[in-house]
Amino acid sequence: MGEEGAEGTVHLLCLAASSGVPLFCRSSRGGAHARQQLPFSVIGSLNGVHMFGQNLEVQLSSARTEDTIVVWKSFHDSITLIVLSSEEGTSELRLERLLQMVFGAMVLLVGLEELTNICNVERLKKELRASYRLIDSFLGDSELIGDLTQCVDCVVPPEGSLLQEALSGFAEAAGTAFVSLVVSGRVVTATESWWRLGMPEAVLLPWLVGSLPPQAARDYPVYLPHGSPTVPHRLLTLTLLPDLELCLLCGPRPPLSQLDAQLLERWWQPLLDLLRTCLPLGPRALPAGFPLHTDILGLLLLHLELKRCLFTVEPSRDKEPSPEHRRRLLRSFYTLVTATHFPPEPGQPEKVEAAAHRAQVPRACYLVSGAEEPGTGWRLVALQLGPRLLLLLLSAQSPTYGLRGLATHTLHALTPLL
Amino acid sequence: MTRPAAPGSVIVPDWQESAEGKEYLACILRKNRRRVFGLLERPVLPPPVAIDTASYKIFVSGKSGVGKTALVAKLAGLEVPVVHHETTGIQTTVVFWPAKLQASDRVVMFRFEFWDCGESALKKFDHMLPACKDKTDAFLFLFSFTDRASFEDLPGQLARVAGEAPGVVRMVIGSKFDQYMHTDVPERDLTAFRQAWELPLLRVKSVPGRRLADGHTLDGRAGLADMAHVLNSLAEQLWHQDQVAAGLLPTSPEDTPS
Repeated sequence: MGEEGAEGTVHLLCLAASSGVPLFCRSSRGGAHARQQLPFSVIGSLNGVHMFGQNLEVQLSSARTEDTIVVWKSFHDSITLIVLSSEEGTSELRLERLLQMVFGAMVLLVGLEELTNICNVERLKKELRASYRLIDSFLGDSELIGDLTQCVDCVVPPEGSLLQEALSGFAEAAGTAFVSLVVSGRVVTATESWWRLGMPEAVLLPWLVGSLPPQAARDYPVYLPHGSPTVPHRLLTLTLLPDLELCLLCGPRPPLSQLDAQLLERWWQPLLDLLRTCLPLGPRALPAGFPLHTDILGLLLLHLELKRCLFTVEPSRDKEPSPEHRRRLLRSFYTLVTATHFPPEPGQPEKVEAAAHRAQVPRACYLVSGAEEPGTGWRLVALQLGPRLLLLLLSAQSPTYGLRGLATHTLHALTPLL
Repeated sequence: MTRPAAPGSVIVPDWQESAEGKEYLACILRKNRRRVFGLLERPVLPPPVAIDTASYKIFVSGKSGVGKTALVAKLAGLEVPVVHHETTGIQTTVVFWPAKLQASDRVVMFRFEFWDCGESALKKFDHMLPACKDKTDAFLFLFSFTDRASFEDLPGQLARVAGEAPGVVRMVIGSKFDQYMHTDVPERDLTAFRQAWELPLLRVKSVPGRRLADGHTLDGRAGLADMAHVLNSLAEQLWHQDQVAAGLLPTSPEDTPS
């Protein structure tokens, strides 16, 4: 890391809105090195200025300094989240969505009741520790992008219909309709009911599974922020192969002990070789041998109606820039095109006013990034066709006049996959 | 009720240190790290060697904070969480362990499935404890040498958790034994407990595992050596219990090897 010097730090503060008591503080560098805890006085001032506005019925939503953006958001008049980011290419849009995900993660693991009706701050603090791992994964350099796109990170397996068939059969045998197969936090295949899960849980559940330390199986209580924020459900996970997990969402039944070796062997042992081919799909997203133009260094394909996306920076790994840098480039390009050029996805409240301009919606745009002299910057191109939005990161050699044709061709090739 | 097997009476002790034992251990290691197995996988031995696998479910019980998750992580050769937080719900971990039987000189691959559940989840959700206890082959009761209350809670735990399953293997493990300077559980109390309950009692240290040359990957072999006494002991008690249940061993206490 670090050769581009583009990392900044993200600080996240969570406070009880009524008392101003900090519930937790996390930062993107929460690990061993450069632990920069914000001083209490800064936390107090940041909360104070937001509260001051609120008392005058002024909603303070964001502020910018030379190198940092601050975004505030209150949830249910009970929890205030504040995020400060000095990351390059960050934006209000990215940070607002981050806060929504963070609050979603808090509801997912402790339930809305505990968050809106705080009787014992110390107990709540203790319970929230269970969500640190998930929240930290939003702040760090994740390989996933669902936190930003609010679409489920998916991969395209070879022979998806075979997997789908086994999944349906297994779901019926296990007695629950909500089942998915997840590789490193990305959905390989899922039942119809699982796909109907609302936001943010559809993004949060696979993300949670990908962020937990490895276990053979789990019986994990979860509250669905959209579907069931006060009554817990059970998320059962079964690790078929390392990093490849079956996830079941269910009520009181079946007990975890009932999902035994025989049941797994009956449905999944015959597909063992196919399952193994799913393992490298985590970072690659596309099946082996899928033809992509050699100029393509990274790809983000969104289906805005299905709320699913494919995200990979694996193509031409041997070339510059690094995967982390590629992800950052695509993330900030996505933020840029979503905030300024492209229409809001259906159901996004944050840019409602843009709907008025639907008549003059652009269908494509491109950007040359980091160019110090002509012909050296990475190319970024976005193209929207119907419900699909494709973002490509291309090498500096790719001629700008060919970008649109390349993007159109790639989008057509990818259309059957998502 | 069956008495526990005497140490070394069923399993060849320290066999894993022998040349033959090391060969078998290789199949649960990869490049000196512990291999992680999915539920569809098992260790593969070179073709001429075919050995039986014996699978057991083990419920790890003990007061919050005694180190249940840390113990299971150590047994599995996984990273021990740096900061303690209560385990959310149930988590299970599979550990394979080859061991040689005294009686037949045969090597058996033991497959232990450890069930670990956070204390507050057990209290909050009614379905968790029955799921953990359902068809369990052994109970592992944990206390911490630095937490007197967790030791005093043992008889209560034994009654509450294992009360309805008298025939099942029960073992007691004291964790954080490395912190003997701060111990809250003196030796005489352990002796009294041992006499009263006649249960196998082991101690484990809670020190960070040794790393490989790269400085951050856990050394699989060193981790296994640290935990071999626990794994052998479990294998011994579980195999012994199976033999007794199958009527292959006399059950009267006089005949039990001691």
